Amino acid sequence: MRTERLVQRLLGLAAGCSVAVTLLIFGFMVILGLPLATGGTFFRMFTSAWLPHQGVYGIAPMVAGTLSIASLAVVFSVPVSLGCAALISVLGSGPLPALLHRLVRFMTGIPTVVYGFAGIFLLVPLVREWAGRGSGMCILSAALLLGVLIAPTMILFFSDSFASVPRTYLEAAEALGATPVQKLLHVVIPCSWRGLTSGVVLALGRAVGDTLIALMIAGNATAMPGSVLEPARTLTAHIALVVAADFDSLEFRTLFACGIILYLCTTVMVIFTRRIGAAWEQQRW
Amino acid sequence: MNAPAYQEEQMKPEYKMSSENLDFYYGDFKALHGVSMDFKPREVTALIGPSGCGKSTYLRCLNRMNDLIPISRVEGKVTLDGEDIYAPSLDVVMLRRKVGMVFQKPNPFPKTIFDNVAYGLWVNGIKDKAFVQERVEESLKQAAIWDEVKDRLQDTALGLSGGQQQRLCIARALAVKPEVVLMDEPASALDPIATQKIEELIHELKETYTIIIVTHNMQQAARVSDVTAFFYVGKLIEVGDTDTIFTRPKKKQTEDYITGRFG
Ligand SMILES: Nc1ncnc2c1ncn2[C@@H]1O[C@H](COP(=O)(O)OP(=O)(O)O)[C@@H](O)[C@H]1O
Ligand SMILES: [Mg+2]
Repeated sequence: MRTERLVQRLLGLAAGCSVAVTLLIFGFMVILGLPLATGGTFFRMFTSAWLPHQGVYGIAPMVAGTLSIASLAVVFSVPVSLGCAALISVLGSGPLPALLHRLVRFMTGIPTVVYGFAGIFLLVPLVREWAGRGSGMCILSAALLLGVLIAPTMILFFSDSFASVPRTYLEAAEALGATPVQKLLHVVIPCSWRGLTSGVVLALGRAVGDTLIALMIAGNATAMPGSVLEPARTLTAHIALVVAADFDSLEFRTLFACGIILYLCTTVMVIFTRRIGAAWEQQRW
Repeated sequence: MNAPAYQEEQMKPEYKMSSENLDFYYGDFKALHGVSMDFKPREVTALIGPSGCGKSTYLRCLNRMNDLIPISRVEGKVTLDGEDIYAPSLDVVMLRRKVGMVFQKPNPFPKTIFDNVAYGLWVNGIKDKAFVQERVEESLKQAAIWDEVKDRLQDTALGLSGGQQQRLCIARALAVKPEVVLMDEPASALDPIATQKIEELIHELKETYTIIIVTHNMQQAARVSDVTAFFYVGKLIEVGDTDTIFTRPKKKQTEDYITGRFG
């Protein structure tokens, strides 16, 4: 009884700590970013370009870069991940599912920089050739590679939620003469909306938060990208690049705005998808 | 179905389904030992026996539901209208459409009542709305649940009582117009009134379908079936007219079981 209460307290403490740290970080960013707000530059930042030589520190291009790269990555990755997860838990037979599962788990352990490196040598030239212009370092390349990077997370999440669909539903469908694909489309996927949405949020969070791939592959141009074949800079890459160069200037201060955006982005995403997941679950499928 | 005439002659055409020397293995464990049995059309056959004796395993061999179990193995022969259902060329989807199944625990999908019954039609590629509508109503009526649900077809099936859910599952199985209906202890999770409804339903369905029902309840077997088969540790001990089995069984084990001396 006593140890139980102790464990409970310890766990409570741990939970409290993580909440406190999250809140503290947010507070820290707001306080340090405050001088921008009073200077009147804060809101202009979100709409203007990044022209440090003219004293204009807008981060609109980076917001656009982050959003386009992350969302494209998810768009590329979701169908592939769904297919893989389906092979692992529903459609595959023989040794294939187990092998695939092991491979995917292994992929989650590969350091991001390895992906980036492989991307520079394999993917970037391909895209360069296909596009017929530019360096190949562009939104498309970064999104494709990021799609590969976030796929394992999604696959594991998806296949777990597929595997937890009640056997009785599967048997019922099977007994009515459903083919494996029909089982997948009509029973398995509709029954796993919660898992699917959580997987996508997690992956989206990873895509928004990833720094290295964007830094290595996306080209880091500060101009507003006009198409997916143009280079772009993400918020995270921007933070990394500016921090590496500078420490106390207005330029540096704008980073806190980037941080706040990333922070809010994640929060909104999580809340949003929770809502969607819950709504889906309540609806009939 | 499309079996050539000579084959029909050979394969005892008076039987809807037959099994010959059927063995079934879960890995190394032999769960069925040479079960040979015939099912006449439009008759109810009850499979009885103590728990774990292989009744469900046998039933699931009849529509190949055991295919899903990874390391299982079937030996022997099962035929539907004279056609070997384990033949490599056989379409399992078509087989399951002809041999429907109702499970022990009611397992409606978390969908509306309508969608549950229509599901089997959709997976079989039937999309004509009017036809689906008509067939859903017909099936619900056949399953004696139409009056209870006709005003709430768009409500979720999970809001129904256990007995209603089970009759809904029967309607779902009937919607694809099977020829044989397999039922694995369909009333074991239900209260006496719901059980009675299911039993009455079986009586009516017998007019149209060949029914094979597993039950651990001997009174139920006596009430609903024409033929009773007694299983014991994976073997078919005795099969015969229900009256005969319950009044003058030939085997000692059968007599012990039905008189409650074991099991
Ligand atoms: N999926 C399975 N894997 C291994 N053994 C099984 C499996 N299903 C059933 N068995 C075994 O097969 C035997 C027959 O089971 P079952 O057909 O369910 O019996 P019954 O329906 O008569 O109670 C039992 O000994 C049971 O333990
Ligand atoms: Mg059983």
